[in-house]
Amino acid sequence: MRRAAALLGALLAVSLPVHAQATDADDLIAALKRARTLAARGQAEVTVLFPPRAVPTRVAAALPALPVRPALLLKNFTVVRAAPQTVAGRDAVRFDLTPKVGGAGRWSLWVDRAWNVPLAFEERRADGAVVRRAAFLKVNAAPAKVALTVPAAPAGLRAALTRALPGLTFPPGFTPVGVRPRAAGGTEVTLTDGLNVLALVIAPQDVRGAPGVASRRVGGAFVWLVGNLPDDTLRGALAGVRRVSADALGTFAGPGDSNP
Amino acid sequence: MTEHPNDLPAPDLPDRDLDALLAQARALTAEDHGAAARFLTGHRARQVAARQRHARTLRAGWVSAALASAAVVAGLTALRPAPALPSSAAYDAYQSALGEGW
Repeated sequence: MRRAAALLGALLAVSLPVHAQATDADDLIAALKRARTLAARGQAEVTVLFPPRAVPTRVAAALPALPVRPALLLKNFTVVRAAPQTVAGRDAVRFDLTPKVGGAGRWSLWVDRAWNVPLAFEERRADGAVVRRAAFLKVNAAPAKVALTVPAAPAGLRAALTRALPGLTFPPGFTPVGVRPRAAGGTEVTLTDGLNVLALVIAPQDVRGAPGVASRRVGGAFVWLVGNLPDDTLRGALAGVRRVSADALGTFAGPGDSNP
Repeated sequence: MTEHPNDLPAPDLPDRDLDALLAQARALTAEDHGAAARFLTGHRARQVAARQRHARTLRAGWVSAALASAAVVAGLTALRPAPALPSSAAYDAYQSALGEGW
C-alpha cells in the first residue's frame, strides 16, 4: 500500500510540471491567436539592436507585428509563466520562451490579464543581450480590432529548398515558410522556428561579413544566411551546400515587383 | 728598265691633250644635271616612303597597344568577381523577413 502511494506520488510529481507547461503554452498561444484580431493601442517604445541601425529606439502607436506560428512555437520552445507584472500600469502575465535546442533567440512576452493581448515582448540572445524589445508606455482605454494574417507555409517548400541548395543544414528548429524574388537579383527565403526568423538569400553577389551574417560562394552564385544566431551556427548551415539550383524554387517565388 | 703598262700618262699622249681631257671630265654636262635631279627625286621619294612607313609602324604599334590594353581591361573586368555588397544588404533582407513595424 505504501509502495503504491509512493508510486502515485512519483507519477504526480513527474506529470504535474508537464501539465503546467502545457497550460502555460496553451495560454500563450490563445493570447497570440487573439492578437490577430485585437490589439492594444497607445504609446509604445520599440528598440531594435539587431540588425544595427543609426537610431535603435523609436516610439510607435502599436507594437510591431509578431508573425507567430503556433505549431512551430509549441514544437521548438519551452513556455513558462513567470510572476505577474505590470506594463504601462496594466496587470500582465509574463511568459518566458526558451528554445528547446540550438542557440536561437529567447523571448519574453507580457500579456494583458484582462484583454488577453500582448502589451510587450522582448528577444534576447543566448548570452542574455537584448536584441529587440517593444513595450507600451501608455495604453488606450480599449483595444482596437485588427486583422493580422500569417500566410501558411507552401507545401513542399522545404523539399524544394533542399533540392535548390543540396547540402544545406537547417539550423535547429528552423524551417522555410516563404520565398520571394529579390529586387537586386536572386531569391530570398524566410525561415522561422515559430518566433525567430532567418533570411536565406541566393544572390549573384557576395555580401560583406558582419555579426549575424554568413555568406558562401557556391559555383557562380552566393548564399547568405542572416539572423540572430551565433555566427558559427550560420556558417555551419551553409558549409555543406554543394550546388545552387535556384530554378527549383521558381514556382514558390511570386512574381517580382513590376517596373512600369 | 721595263715600264709598267698602267703607268700614265702614256708616253705618247701629249700633256696638253691630257689636260683637256681631264678638264672635260670635270665639267658638268646636262646629262650630269639630269642624273643628279633623277637621283635626288628618287632619294626624296625614298625618304618620304620611309617616313610614312615609320609613321605607319608607330600608328600600328599604338593601335595594337591600345587594343591590347582594352583587351586586358575587359578581361580583368569580366574575370574579376563583382565587389561584395555592404553588410546592410544582408540586414535589409533580414529586416524584410521580420515583419511590419520593426
